[in-house]
Amino acid sequence: MGFAVTVGGRRVECDADQSLLDACLRAGLWMPNSCNQGTCGTCKLQVVGGEVDHRDSPFDTLTAEERAAGMALACQARPVSDVEVGGAGDRATHPLRDLTATVLEVADIARDTRRVLLGLPEPLAFSAGQYVELVVPGSGARRQYSLANTADEDKVLELHVRRVPGGVATDGWLFGGLAVGDEVEATGPLGDFHLPPESDDDGGPMVLVGGGTGLAPLVGIARTALARHPSREVLLYHGVRGAADLYDLDRFAELAEEHAGFRFVPVLSEEPAAGRRSGFPTDAFVEDVPSARGWSGWLSGPPAMVEAGVKAFKRRRMAPRHIHREKFTPADALG
Amino acid sequence: MTTTEKPDLSWLDDVTMSELERNPYRTYERLRAEAPLAFVPVLGSYVASTAEVCREVATSPDFEGVITPAGGRTFGHPAIIGVNGDIHADLRSMVEPALQPVEVDRWIDDLVRPIARRYLEQFENDGQAELVSQFCEPVSVRALGDLLGLQSVDSDKLREWFAKLNRSFTNAAMTEDGEFANPEGFREGDEAKAEIRAIVDPLIDRWIVEPDDSAISHWLHDGMPPGQTRDREYIYPTIYVYLLGAMQEPGHGMASTLVGLFSRPEQLEQVVDDPVLIPRAISEGMRWTSPIWSATARISTKPVTVAGVDIPAGTPVMLSYGSANHDTGVYEAPSTYDLHRPPLPHLAFGAGSHACAGIYFANHVMRIAMEELFEAIPNLERDTREGVDFWGWGFRGPTSLHVTWEV
Repeated sequence: MGFAVTVGGRRVECDADQSLLDACLRAGLWMPNSCNQGTCGTCKLQVVGGEVDHRDSPFDTLTAEERAAGMALACQARPVSDVEVGGAGDRATHPLRDLTATVLEVADIARDTRRVLLGLPEPLAFSAGQYVELVVPGSGARRQYSLANTADEDKVLELHVRRVPGGVATDGWLFGGLAVGDEVEATGPLGDFHLPPESDDDGGPMVLVGGGTGLAPLVGIARTALARHPSREVLLYHGVRGAADLYDLDRFAELAEEHAGFRFVPVLSEEPAAGRRSGFPTDAFVEDVPSARGWSGWLSGPPAMVEAGVKAFKRRRMAPRHIHREKFTPADALG
Repeated sequence: MTTTEKPDLSWLDDVTMSELERNPYRTYERLRAEAPLAFVPVLGSYVASTAEVCREVATSPDFEGVITPAGGRTFGHPAIIGVNGDIHADLRSMVEPALQPVEVDRWIDDLVRPIARRYLEQFENDGQAELVSQFCEPVSVRALGDLLGLQSVDSDKLREWFAKLNRSFTNAAMTEDGEFANPEGFREGDEAKAEIRAIVDPLIDRWIVEPDDSAISHWLHDGMPPGQTRDREYIYPTIYVYLLGAMQEPGHGMASTLVGLFSRPEQLEQVVDDPVLIPRAISEGMRWTSPIWSATARISTKPVTVAGVDIPAGTPVMLSYGSANHDTGVYEAPSTYDLHRPPLPHLAFGAGSHACAGIYFANHVMRIAMEELFEAIPNLERDTREGVDFWGWGFRGPTSLHVTWEV
């Protein structure tokens, strides 16, 4: 049974077991969203009419006071009547879609790290930096993987996957039986970790810090940014444990050749190697950049690295509204 | 009060003005507990100290606005905060059009953001600053000064004026005979007013013949028959109200909010990271240290009983909003700054027909200034080598706020 959800004057159909966010995004109606698991609070909205079931909304993210005041998390709330919500919903977005993709390539590119290429029957509209959710066959579990693509690479999705020993999605599937030609069920695109629209992008300097396979969305974002403004300054830090975890070095060397303002800086935290920076990538940034005023910053990786990055950027006086972070729990923390 | 026994309030005889100005909270905490409506000898007036009694008196049909004696001595008549009936209605209709939310929204960003930027540019690369005098007060007075039409008066002069008017307005100590205990205390306010007249009179002369879009020009002309303007003597007391409270308090509010946030580093970080939280941070800052701490009053229009106390007609009652906002009956641990406390209403902007007309304007001046501050200096830290002193009973805020940051 379905209900009507009204957002900013637009009506959207929403099933009783469908989240408000899912219904809006499928209808091409933009709504702020990041983690899609109730933990970040980005999609918090005001229910101005009708009732919702908060389902698994954590009390940390949506307090009892907020519930009493009619707030809800769009990614968790299900309608129990026709619903009207305030705010948001006045911008177009790439519609959320269910996808059936075909595995085109599985390649081991670094220690416990694979690149998976998924072919789509028709192009997917997304912004570089967004992610898709894969359905793990047989388990019903879903895992989020960022796209390393630019928006015009819309028929072959590139995912970077890190193995988690015993993980249901990795050892049990992506590092297990996955083979070229397999069909994969997915939903996407999701998330708000992407560049501003081209008209709002002034070509200012950027620093991107990725930890492990958190590098993936930055690969799409950095290439998009350089395509828009070929001579802009772009610093890409890749934090890993050791040299064996590095990948795509040729790709970045090529990018640096084409763009004088681009620099790729791998930083090894645990296994030092000759000719490589060691320590944490956010510390390397603090050493390298005396002032980040007017810069934008992009962080994707383990939560501790993201937190350290926010501090490092602010220490170099980057304006907080220009600090972007991928907020979903990295898939490798879930297995 | 359910008991017939009157509390022994003889301890109030020992309360002094300088003690209240240094720290009024101890005295008012005891007043709230023992006598939420009490006669305080040093002030020569009844005082309402709890949230409930302040709200009751501020909104009661049995009370109307009155200016405190020292306030009246400073501003003269008819100041908007101390008049009622037709004159009050006319003065509110004079000041309110420019302060309506839809009107403020039209220009507030273009007015305040460049001002905040300009002051920040003067010190943002220094690595240290004293924010009250270098940022909070200058942004506050420049924004309002430009709105009023006082572009030709520099910010330091506007700051000097509000400080002198403040000390005169809150020179509240009374003798037992109902005389001002410290008449000398009005002299610097009188000097400031003479200077204000010397500078503003020629502007008024010009606005009378050449109206422009400044607020004071509108005050002269709006709602008047063609060819006539409001008499300047009629609007000067309200100009003084602006040059004191409206000039000073957004600066106080910002500085108090910042001190509060520095007391909760994790909350400061949240606000810096997410500027959407700034309005909430300001609201809690205004509750925590209410800038207009005890500067407004009401007077009974007939015999009434308030908080168990019978008072005759014509009795003034001072409204201690700064105390009401620390009422433990309403707020848990009220002396703690807490961004995340339940967002209950507070009385920092007053209540009833004399509630602040500039709520929307002031809140947005503070918001925009703090947005620009955190944007320019996201790594702001309090300079712990310096203490923070608050001062004031009528009006209250930090006297200085030293900060450092890495450059």
